[in-house]
Amino acid sequence: MLKSKKWLSGPYLFWSIAFTVIPLLMIVYYGMTDKEGHFTWYNLAQITTQENLKALGLALLLSCFSTLLCLLLAYPLAMILSEKNVNQTSFIVLIFILPMWMNFLLRTLAWQNLLEKNGIINTILSFFHLPAMTLINTPGAIILGMVYNFLPFMVLPIYNVLVKIDKDVIFAARDLGANNLQTFARITLPLSVPGIVSGITMVFVPSLTTFVISDLLGGSKILLIGNVIEQEFKQGSNWNVGSGLSLVLMIFIIASMALIAEYDKEGEGTAF
Amino acid sequence: MMKNALKKIYLTLIFILLYAPIATLIVLSFNSSKTRSKWGGFTTKWYTALLQNRDIMNALYTTLVIAFLSALIATLIGTAAAIGIQALNRRMRTIMMSITNIPMLNADIVTGISLMLLFIAFRFSLGFTTILLAHISFNIPYVILSVMPKLKQTDRQTYEAALDLGASPVYAFFKVVFPDILPGVFSGFLLAFTMSLDDFVITHFTKGPGVDTLSTKIYGEVRKGIKPEMYALSTILFLTVLILLLLINTAPDSSTNRTDRKHTLSRPRAISRFLFRKVVPSCMIVTIFLGGIFYGSRESNSSKNQVIVYNWGEYLDPEAIEMFEEETGIHVVYEEYETNEIMYPKVQSGAIAYDVVCPSDYMVQRMIENDLLAEINFDNMPNIKYIDDVYMERCRDFDPENRYCVPHLWGTVGILYNKTMVEEPVDSWGILWDEKYQDSILMQDSVRDAFGITLKYLGYSLNSTDLDELEAAKKLLIEQKPLVQAYVVDQVRDKMIGNEAALGVIYSGEAIYCQIENPDLEYVIPKEGSNFWMDSWVIPKNAKHKENAEAFINFLCKPEIAKMNFDYITYSIPNSAGQALIEEPEYRNSPIAFPDLNSLTNCETLQYIGEENDAVYNRLWREVKSK
Repeated sequence: MLKSKKWLSGPYLFWSIAFTVIPLLMIVYYGMTDKEGHFTWYNLAQITTQENLKALGLALLLSCFSTLLCLLLAYPLAMILSEKNVNQTSFIVLIFILPMWMNFLLRTLAWQNLLEKNGIINTILSFFHLPAMTLINTPGAIILGMVYNFLPFMVLPIYNVLVKIDKDVIFAARDLGANNLQTFARITLPLSVPGIVSGITMVFVPSLTTFVISDLLGGSKILLIGNVIEQEFKQGSNWNVGSGLSLVLMIFIIASMALIAEYDKEGEGTAF
Repeated sequence: MMKNALKKIYLTLIFILLYAPIATLIVLSFNSSKTRSKWGGFTTKWYTALLQNRDIMNALYTTLVIAFLSALIATLIGTAAAIGIQALNRRMRTIMMSITNIPMLNADIVTGISLMLLFIAFRFSLGFTTILLAHISFNIPYVILSVMPKLKQTDRQTYEAALDLGASPVYAFFKVVFPDILPGVFSGFLLAFTMSLDDFVITHFTKGPGVDTLSTKIYGEVRKGIKPEMYALSTILFLTVLILLLLINTAPDSSTNRTDRKHTLSRPRAISRFLFRKVVPSCMIVTIFLGGIFYGSRESNSSKNQVIVYNWGEYLDPEAIEMFEEETGIHVVYEEYETNEIMYPKVQSGAIAYDVVCPSDYMVQRMIENDLLAEINFDNMPNIKYIDDVYMERCRDFDPENRYCVPHLWGTVGILYNKTMVEEPVDSWGILWDEKYQDSILMQDSVRDAFGITLKYLGYSLNSTDLDELEAAKKLLIEQKPLVQAYVVDQVRDKMIGNEAALGVIYSGEAIYCQIENPDLEYVIPKEGSNFWMDSWVIPKNAKHKENAEAFINFLCKPEIAKMNFDYITYSIPNSAGQALIEEPEYRNSPIAFPDLNSLTNCETLQYIGEENDAVYNRLWREVKSK
């Protein structure tokens, strides 16, 4: 029945071809040619150098970890919020978006103030005569930065899905003798899969490609794949290698998205 | 009971996580010290300064209009797209969703440059419209990803029931499906609005001169430190939205039990509801439209007699620009950049015909080699006589016949150290390899600077392209890495002022400012020699107002203007007549700003070493960084 609505994606199709696909083709062109415009695999092959593989591995590790952490933090949060009064919906949503209205760079610099050796957290610790902690310039600080910046992208989709779950289904499960855990595992969790999937996409992807967070909170001592690409474009002015590497990254991410989409299909199956 | 308490604690913890940096920023907006790492006492002066700053206010307005329009259009297109995609078959749907993810997958800089190339190829002139188009493009995916999950949950049967009962598809959609997906649409709009507010890189590459958003302003300021006005502005924005939210939320909601409440709605509440549901939104729309008309008319009225200047962020006293406009009647369109490398592609692509640019030494050389610069007609520039010959001589390192550039500011690279933490005399780069200072060393996070000082320490040239010498430098840098607290560029300043580190590699211009804020700091140029850098005015070949450009550069060579500019940013000026005008003797004779040039004989200027050597440097630097 929804078939007649296909045309609604028309404007978007046009838009994405003009402003996404064509620029993408330009990147493909740059990624597959050398400075003189001759075809080459060299740029793509750059990913196999030891440093770049390590940077990719580290980026994957940190972003997987922070995505998982985001999910673990966001899910209970979204559940608590979804139990609140329906009329407060927009309020709740805004409370999570609001911090992001302060500029990203300013917020990240503020984290420096908090985490530094003589920063606010360590000042508080020393006030209670606790030993100072090394917080800044560690992998932990990078993960914190990622979780902080991308948490709203996980909370919102999950929250949106949870508030839509029909309470009667849950009551039915209870009536049939399911305990809390069973209700959650059999009803709530499967029904919220679409939200989890978009949440993971919106957190995993930007954290995989970020470079600002590792620069500012990691002291730039940990090289992530985003830093490599940024360096090729900015410091090396080598667009070819930069494009090649981002193409590899893109293929990589699309593959992992396809994997997730498999799970999503099941999610749909239960939703309808 | 227990459970509720746990929930409350959990919520509180998350709120602390989300709002701790916000609280920090709010506190900083009342800090009378200009640096973020020192508390100088309570003040509200930044708030008054903010209201008087027309540039920031303009940028705020542009930012809000772009964010609002792009979020609105993206929400319309994105919501329609989500519905359409849902109706496609599985294979098509996967393809569409992959396309949707692309703008999110790409590093910003890749998206930004590719959009810039696209706009150039289709002869769009960069400006307000191109920023808007770019923002809509990266906003749509966020809308689609917010609406999709909601759409998947909508009950198909209800919709079909509506159709069976005789509703037209459109009517059924708005009555049945739309209310269900509305929260998703709403959060999609908000995400889009937010992403647009926050974007810097894409905006930078798609914007034209004279159009600024808050983000581009903030990044322009990074070099000289974020102005506290920005903290003040953020605080005002934040509090405004928060108060609006609280008011709306305390106003009774009408969506449930409308009939019951109608009678009990007290008069003040009814008024406040009317205010926030009708008056405020319509006021916003009216302001945006009127502003848009005003903005548009002002754009088109801008005079033909202009000069387009592309300069480092915070590199010129704004008052000097005003004086120039008054004196000559030439309108200055001013745009800023953050690094040479971000400036280069914009000039090279010819996206915008800049009239005056201020690149560093090696970049001037690169632009000359790539035939991007026009020769300056020195007959139009009588004030060139105020620029001392020594500096014109220095320019020959990168402009061999003194035909293309006029020095603007110069300086050295050296070590800034904290006298309370470092007791021994500092005179060599070697101290940066001293294990005593483990975790207290700040290195420059840029290839040429990091390698430059290491090469100098080893006794080689700053511009070495000898592989053995470079390998030796790399080995040394890897040895140093465990001792380094952080690789930074502009934050050396704030971190040194805040006593975060004992030693830092810094540009001389910043050193003076650091000393003012923290008297324990001392600057030294190591005996092995260092980098003598010079940023100079050049005129690109495609400049449309070359004579105005020459008039502009000529004006800046005046001693009193050079002096004004020194007062503004404390970078060394190549203008001894201007230096003589500096009132404070401690700055006029400062060994940091104006060292004895004869003592700098072993200092070199960075040169452009060609793309292949650049690639070698980059590869070696990456090896250092990934260790």
